[in-house]
Amino acid sequence: MTVNAGTVAVRAEGLSRRYGSVRALREVDLTLGRGITGVLGPNGAGKTTLLSVLATVGKPDAGRVRVFGLDPGDRAERVEIRRRLGYLPQELGYHRHFTVAAFLDYVAVLKEITDRRRRTEEVARVLAVTSLEHLAGKRIRTLSGGMRQRLGIAQALLGGPELLILDEPAAGLDPEQRLRLRELLSNMPGDPVIVMSTHQPDDVAAVCQRVVVLLHGQARFTGTPAELAATATGHVWTAGQRDQRAHLSWRGADNRWRHTGDHPPTGAETVVPTVEDGYLLLSHRPSVR
Amino acid sequence: MKPARGLRVALILARFEALLLIRNLLVLAGMLAGGALIWSYIQPGEPLWWNAAWQIGYGQVVLAMSVLIAAQLAAGRARRDAMTDLYDSFPVPAGTRVTAHLIALAGAAPASLVLIGGSAAVLVSRGAIGAPSAAVVAGGLVLVIAAGAAGIALAQRFAHPLAGAPAALALIALFTQSGQFPGGLAWLSPWTVPAQLQFLPGPLAGYPPAPAHLAELAGITALAGITALMTAVARPWRRIRLVTAGALAAAVTCAAGAIQLAPIPAADLNHLVGEAADPSSAKQCTTASTVRYCLYPDFSPLLPALRAPVSAVLARLPARPAHGLTVMQATGLSLQDPALTHDQAAARLATWNARLASGPVFAPSASTIYVTVGTTSSGPRLADTQFYVALATAEWALGLPPNARSPSPESPCVPLDQAREAIAIWLATQATHVPAAELAAGLPAPDSGPKSLVEVGGTRAVAWDFPGMPSYKVSPEGFVFGDPTSPGARLTAAGYLLAKAMTSLPAAKVTGVLDGAWGTWRNWHTTDARLAAALGMPMPSVPAPTDMAPPGSPRDPGNGVSGTADSVEPSPLCTIGP
Repeated sequence: MTVNAGTVAVRAEGLSRRYGSVRALREVDLTLGRGITGVLGPNGAGKTTLLSVLATVGKPDAGRVRVFGLDPGDRAERVEIRRRLGYLPQELGYHRHFTVAAFLDYVAVLKEITDRRRRTEEVARVLAVTSLEHLAGKRIRTLSGGMRQRLGIAQALLGGPELLILDEPAAGLDPEQRLRLRELLSNMPGDPVIVMSTHQPDDVAAVCQRVVVLLHGQARFTGTPAELAATATGHVWTAGQRDQRAHLSWRGADNRWRHTGDHPPTGAETVVPTVEDGYLLLSHRPSVR
Repeated sequence: MKPARGLRVALILARFEALLLIRNLLVLAGMLAGGALIWSYIQPGEPLWWNAAWQIGYGQVVLAMSVLIAAQLAAGRARRDAMTDLYDSFPVPAGTRVTAHLIALAGAAPASLVLIGGSAAVLVSRGAIGAPSAAVVAGGLVLVIAAGAAGIALAQRFAHPLAGAPAALALIALFTQSGQFPGGLAWLSPWTVPAQLQFLPGPLAGYPPAPAHLAELAGITALAGITALMTAVARPWRRIRLVTAGALAAAVTCAAGAIQLAPIPAADLNHLVGEAADPSSAKQCTTASTVRYCLYPDFSPLLPALRAPVSAVLARLPARPAHGLTVMQATGLSLQDPALTHDQAAARLATWNARLASGPVFAPSASTIYVTVGTTSSGPRLADTQFYVALATAEWALGLPPNARSPSPESPCVPLDQAREAIAIWLATQATHVPAAELAAGLPAPDSGPKSLVEVGGTRAVAWDFPGMPSYKVSPEGFVFGDPTSPGARLTAAGYLLAKAMTSLPAAKVTGVLDGAWGTWRNWHTTDARLAAALGMPMPSVPAPTDMAPPGSPRDPGNGVSGTADSVEPSPLCTIGP
């Protein structure tokens, strides 16, 4: 089953997850469709927990999830979801003594690609997509952090998943590799549902059709990046002096101070906010929805 | 998931893992170390299949250690490399992955088969005696697989890269210490060391009970595999099936263990004791040049190797004794071995011991050379054994006792200052091809102490150990086993050195002197000095017993001999003969 435009691929209602006394997720509601959804949030916000639940790896304490209309709680349906899933966990250790090609071949088997020819083609395809062809025979232990991250993305792409869940895919990538990642995600064949967590608002602004801001386990914003940026309209301004009332202030290359806050002073020059401004402002407010 | 798809995935993963296992450096190292261990055991010994098959297992134990560690590392790889979340996101369940690891243990089979094949080739090239037991050979292979399965089970709980090492050490400890286990418990160890097989004329059912041990290993393999799967399978009906299979495997293991703990049938032991006490009862004898050679049925290929030194000595004799000569194989059997006699009635054991002690094989004989099974090695030690046979033949010809069978070590007689001693040694050196250096190696080192001395009537002399001299072995539990033959005469350094000096003379000259007065030379009163004079050579310099004093040992001022007064067992003088 492929995801048609407008079809809801992932629906989560009231998701909660607790680790001891820490509430990682608090009644998160979520609806995801085709395209790229960015999950923004600081460390410890619950991004990894949310993505692991969506990837059928983690189990929520409460709430319900449906992926492609299937229930991850049911064994058979969970397996069916996994057949259509590509997942990049946040911290992947890798089998360091494997070669790049052997690792991908091994993962392809675990994704039930049992036909040898198809597996070979699929490995070659993802190597090409992630620009790792020249490293196919290299042992993973010899790769740099960025190369390993690309390898992690490559394994997630094996089998052409309909749902791609990427936890911090840009971590460890240099600026050029980040741009290549954006290019890759934007041109994904089959137009899958992509969910990626990130600390980088500009990544979200660049490629995501939707953004979810997670703060303290709660989904504090769900909408488009433009809508997130718009939440900061009238809350970002520049001035020649630092404004102590602003939530955040920094001096730009033009030697003027850029402020984000709730009280622009009279005469300050308001500027068009960015996704980053919206995210920063959101993270300093009790609730903006 | 359809079962067919799951099985297909498991087989592809298993092939992948098996190839990794085959190329694993640990496994290759284990195979090489195992091969070296097997070589060290089978190379010097007699190529008896019923013993060698168990010795091949020693190498399999070493291989099993490495396979256990390698399998634990492979099965724990996902957890150790922080890949659990990723693996859990795949449609292939953990149970399939564990199944693949278990199937992949077939990748260890080639290494095991190389050990078996290589060992078999060596044994066949050396004229293997008997036939390999399929149960024993297969047991070694199953042991390797069982160790791998244990490694996989271990990895389900302990993924640390060093977790396999203690288990491997436990395996080797069980193996090396199995001889210490009381009674039949030794057979329950993953592999064991049957101490007496190398001295028996054939396999003995129940020593060890190979088919039951194979069943035990198969049961352990199944149990380990099921344990590994239990941690990976979540569905209740599958767990029920696994528990049922586990109960079955446990039952097989326990039943196999119970069979192994059972005593060896008394009738079999009775038959063995009969053979050991009276070897002539189970022999096929042939006569060549008036000498009888009596060998166990499987050992006829050894006949030429035994005939050669005897014939070579006979060809140099001016005259033969009136009494005939028999070269006879005998069994080395110790009823002290608890693994052999456990749970036998004390009265029955006493009867067997008495029968052994009073059997014809232990009666003094001046005309029989006993060659214990397991001592007639081919290869490098064959020359030693042939020297022993040649020397015993020469002793028989000169009226010295050729050898004696004894259920316990006794002091043999000493031909102190008897010319016939040197003549016997000279005849043996002429008849065989033992290197001079090896003969010289029988002289004790200067600091070897009282153990290298003999004492006859208050006179001490330095002894000489000839190549192939029978010796006992002592098991870790302290029981004496092996070759119950003791040299008929304990030879001295003086005799050897005189014989060595004789070899520097033309053989025709020595033969001429001997032929001229053979009756005199056979007489035990004829001294070394008289022989040297007849040959026109000076007496060689002989190390004095005082040279054997260990540093700091007390001296006996009475006779000037080193060592404590009671450290040298007195021996009788060899006075048999003319």
